[in-house]
Amino acid sequence: MPDADSTPKDESPIVLLIDDSPMIHRLLTFKLKNEGLEFLSAFSGEEGLELAQENQPSLILVDLDMPGIKGHDVIRALKSDPKTMQIPTLVISGSTESSDKVLAFELGAIDFITKPIDLPELRARIGSALRLHRLMEMLEQRAQIDGLTGLKNRAYFDERIRASFNSLSRNKQTASLVMCDLDHFKILNDTYGHPAGDSVIVGFSAIALRTLRSCDVACRYGGEEFALILPDTDAHGAKIVCDRIRCRLEANAWPANPGITATASFGIANIPANETASVEEWIESADKALYQAKHAGRNRAVVFGDEPDQSALRPAS
Amino acid sequence: MSATPQPEQPVRSTYADDPEMHELIEFFVDEIPNRVEALQQAWQEHDADAIERLVHQLKGSSGGYGFQVITEAAAALEHPLKQGQDDLDALAAEYDQLIKLCNRVMF
Repeated sequence: MPDADSTPKDESPIVLLIDDSPMIHRLLTFKLKNEGLEFLSAFSGEEGLELAQENQPSLILVDLDMPGIKGHDVIRALKSDPKTMQIPTLVISGSTESSDKVLAFELGAIDFITKPIDLPELRARIGSALRLHRLMEMLEQRAQIDGLTGLKNRAYFDERIRASFNSLSRNKQTASLVMCDLDHFKILNDTYGHPAGDSVIVGFSAIALRTLRSCDVACRYGGEEFALILPDTDAHGAKIVCDRIRCRLEANAWPANPGITATASFGIANIPANETASVEEWIESADKALYQAKHAGRNRAVVFGDEPDQSALRPAS
Repeated sequence: MSATPQPEQPVRSTYADDPEMHELIEFFVDEIPNRVEALQQAWQEHDADAIERLVHQLKGSSGGYGFQVITEAAAALEHPLKQGQDDLDALAAEYDQLIKLCNRVMF
């Protein structure tokens, strides 16, 4: 997966050490060997930047005075690259110059440790930086989740669809976007009340998650609207998935309100099947297909560019 | 500044009493002849860049192994080099002092 950002991080945190002196590497890895950390060693700024990109460490320790790229420039480069800017970066330096410290903090370092290294202090500072990193990751994750359904939220969708679109145009792969909407939701709310409406939204979300693969992304787009991003899935595959969700929803029992039959309509837009020049156009195509599905009688999935198949209509009862 | 050890006295790690440090100190003591050799070679070749790098590394790491005197001797040699002093003969005293201390490193 090109931009898998949901890999669980319960293995040991990776710490990248960038220092030109092998003796420092030896000292630190030995003294910190019982801390449950995995060490990566880089002996120059250049190597450090490369390893940071490839391995996405949880923490970076960087020396300031090195041949080649200096530590301050390493921090600058780390902090200007979206792939590495979130990684907490600590300076370990022999310098006691206030100007070196100020510059390091201004560039985005979160701590400054002076050599010779006092190991209990270093342990404590690494521990604190890792805690901070974990909290930040947790907050970031929470900020992407819809509170009612546990699906990804709209803000996440806006970002993710753009990333998917960009990686598609680079890699000439295929992906489908599905916009879906619960049918007659207003009537359902008015008849059974908002808690019942919420339970249908939650129920739809659970069915979608159960039906999708782990690489698919399900987002709550708005009130009773949802967006599904299906990587490596052509329009035909997306239609099969949508029909599966659709049938499961229609067949679903609602114990608190046995009278409810919930259905949903789906609009599918595939890239590159549709000549789509922008993200906005991609979303618009899926929206148009959704409109067609609604217009043709609801409770169906329509692929953008196809005529809704009138003869294959299934009664929504 | 730590007191400079008297001539002929061995230079020992200030962490020698810490059992956890023994393996590291041993590593340092084993490694230091290689460092000295590399430094002497760079000195003979008048390779100021290599000298500065080796001295800088000694400065940065020795203190961590409990050899603060070496860190200080290395700093005394590194400072003029960083200022752009490239007349190595003028730094012979600092260089000799650093080599002498390194040669007296013992477990």
